[in-house]
Amino acid sequence: MQRRAVCPIEDLPPGSMKLVDAGKFGVGVYNIDGELYAIANYCSHEGAPLCLGYVGGTTEYDPDSLDRIRRVREGRIARCPWHNWEFDITTGENLADPKKRVRTYRVDVVDGQVYLTA
Amino acid sequence: MSVVIDSNVQPHFRYNAEIRRYLPAPHKLRAIPDVEQQWYQAPGGDYRADLYGDGYPGSDPETVAHHLFEQGGADYAVLNPLTRGNIADYLLNSRICAAVNDWLLDRWLEPDATGRFLGTIRVNPEDVRGAVAEIERLADHPKMVQIGIPMQSREPYGKPMFEPIWEAAAAHGLPVAVHINGGNGVDYPPTFAGHAYTYPGYAAFMPLNSFVHLATLIIEGVFGRLPDLRFVFSDGGYDILTPLMWRLDTFWMSMRDQTPWVDRFPSQYLTDHVRYCTSALDGPTDAGLTERWFEFTDKSDLVMYGSNYPHWSTTAPADATAGLNDEQRAKVLWRNASELYGIGTRAQGSPT
Repeated sequence: MQRRAVCPIEDLPPGSMKLVDAGKFGVGVYNIDGELYAIANYCSHEGAPLCLGYVGGTTEYDPDSLDRIRRVREGRIARCPWHNWEFDITTGENLADPKKRVRTYRVDVVDGQVYLTA
Repeated sequence: MSVVIDSNVQPHFRYNAEIRRYLPAPHKLRAIPDVEQQWYQAPGGDYRADLYGDGYPGSDPETVAHHLFEQGGADYAVLNPLTRGNIADYLLNSRICAAVNDWLLDRWLEPDATGRFLGTIRVNPEDVRGAVAEIERLADHPKMVQIGIPMQSREPYGKPMFEPIWEAAAAHGLPVAVHINGGNGVDYPPTFAGHAYTYPGYAAFMPLNSFVHLATLIIEGVFGRLPDLRFVFSDGGYDILTPLMWRLDTFWMSMRDQTPWVDRFPSQYLTDHVRYCTSALDGPTDAGLTERWFEFTDKSDLVMYGSNYPHWSTTAPADATAGLNDEQRAKVLWRNASELYGIGTRAQGSPT
């Protein structure tokens, strides 16, 4: 583990991600609505580069609507490019099975500079 | 010896025309196929060899009681009669189901002072309104312990048009037993890929259709919406349960967002919602593997002894539980059925 500089905060605006060459597989640093999060670029299923998949929302059961489904958590969900496993970037939890997590890392900002501890 | 509950027995009419006594006037003269009208007949006959002779096999309550209780060692038997013939008229089919139910009450359940025979309310899923009405008519009868429907269906039972039937069953706390039925509606191919030519092809694959019903009941959210709904698959088929549940669980990891009403692994619905009756065709051919195999996908909690009397494949309690350890045997012979049906608590020696 070491704390390293990633980039100035203005280079990581809300809705973007920077893939940092850290650890064996890299770490994705995300800005979600102004909050920073980091997860391993390694899907807990078969090791795919998780951070290269789409970031979006997910669905929730909505018993009162006609299609019984609603879109939630927009911008917070990383979707694995290999088999569509969904992970909440803010917690590392897999949405189908919370036990199948992706590793999360600490991110902080000092004097406009983003730091990752990984 | 603890209690034994036989959860799968098919009583029969004494003769083809007996059903007419129980049909209402507008339907009394309709053509109804014979009891034995099926596309696939077992070599040597559909029924146990010693049952041919006086009357139709499985049609005399005293003889059946003697075979199941005195000779077979069972304490209770859940009777699930089949309904007759290939008929496209779904309204007539509902009347046939009602006639079968009235016949079961009249000839089997009400004359039985010992309380050992329990019954099934047969309904016709092709006629949703009729099926719900039949459940409402008979659900409060103390000897009716489940709803009965055919395995053969135009659509898998997880489809929304059937849901009012499952709601009615769940509201009355009655499990829904799915059983291969030669009649009731038009017949459908016995395999996913069409018609088998011979009886072995039919008998080996037909019970596996239960998995399609099961998968849709989970994926379409029926079990999720109806926490009290329970399905019994009376023809076995649990030997493919494990690989197919693995497959369903795997797909769910990837496609959960399309069915968010499924809020747990598909396999996690089984214990609360699904039971199987034992079948002579399920299980490893090497009895030494049975004990371990039975723990896969929690089958010890899902499988209940069913003799399948009077069919050729009738299985005695000892044969149905060969290779199981004591705890597994107790679950299969009485505990699982006792919990499902709420029966077996009055019998001598019952640990419930």
